[in-house]
Amino acid sequence: MTEAAPAIFVAIEASGFGAAIRQSRWLYMVANVGHIVSLMIFAGAIAVMDMRMAGALAATSPGYVLKVARRVAIIGFICLVISGAFLFTAEASHVIVNRVFQIKLALIALGLLNIALFEILIAPKVRDLPPLTPLPSEARATAFASISIWIAVAVCGRSIAYF
Amino acid sequence: MKHTRAVIAGFSILAVTTMAAVAHHGWGSYDASKPVTVDGPILTSTFENPHATIAVKGADKIWTVTLAPTSRMEARGARADVVAVGKTVSAYGYPSTVEMNEMRAERITVDGKTYELR
Repeated sequence: MTEAAPAIFVAIEASGFGAAIRQSRWLYMVANVGHIVSLMIFAGAIAVMDMRMAGALAATSPGYVLKVARRVAIIGFICLVISGAFLFTAEASHVIVNRVFQIKLALIALGLLNIALFEILIAPKVRDLPPLTPLPSEARATAFASISIWIAVAVCGRSIAYF
Repeated sequence: MKHTRAVIAGFSILAVTTMAAVAHHGWGSYDASKPVTVDGPILTSTFENPHATIAVKGADKIWTVTLAPTSRMEARGARADVVAVGKTVSAYGYPSTVEMNEMRAERITVDGKTYELR
């Protein structure tokens, strides 16, 4: 426990739930493994969408690829948030003051903003395009932004333990 | 398009290098070139994830000794009662380069039995 953290995070870590995660023989480990597995599911689905928007897999229907991959990405993201909440709760007061974790949170916000912009501005334009139709250049730009941001999030996530 | 890609690549590199500059605490920050052995009674014991920790009254000072995740502790036979308060431990490990009085144990010996923690 570190007193440097805001009181709310000290309280979260000190809670019965936090203690239960730390003291359980398997809960922390399951959350840790689950976080990595969720990341693979999420990143895989995101990569499929990004590749399609960047111009690969051109012979597929963009609307269909987006629809299927989006569903998997949402499931992966929900699992990431749940498993991440367990890992965070166990060490909340330390993790919240960790610089790399703060960078990771900012990058996640940026990634979600990029998704929102894509879904509002770009997805409606490309959804009904037939296969082998060139996509607007904004689609390519968000795809490169997306894959870069999420890889940076993963790098930060794994690096928290080392800083 | 070329510009967008360059900007994104630039930000990614920036993000990664910034992290290297804010080194704070972690498995990397232990000095393996200066191994220490801490012998003494266990004053406090926290058998919790992500790492069990004990406070040991060494000859020179009280050390915080970071052990292993609890599942590994159990798997190696170093259960909570092995590192309980009042036991006498000999911990071999590496001092932290960040936290004074903290060390990461490679192995511990309790009641004549050695437990490898790496």
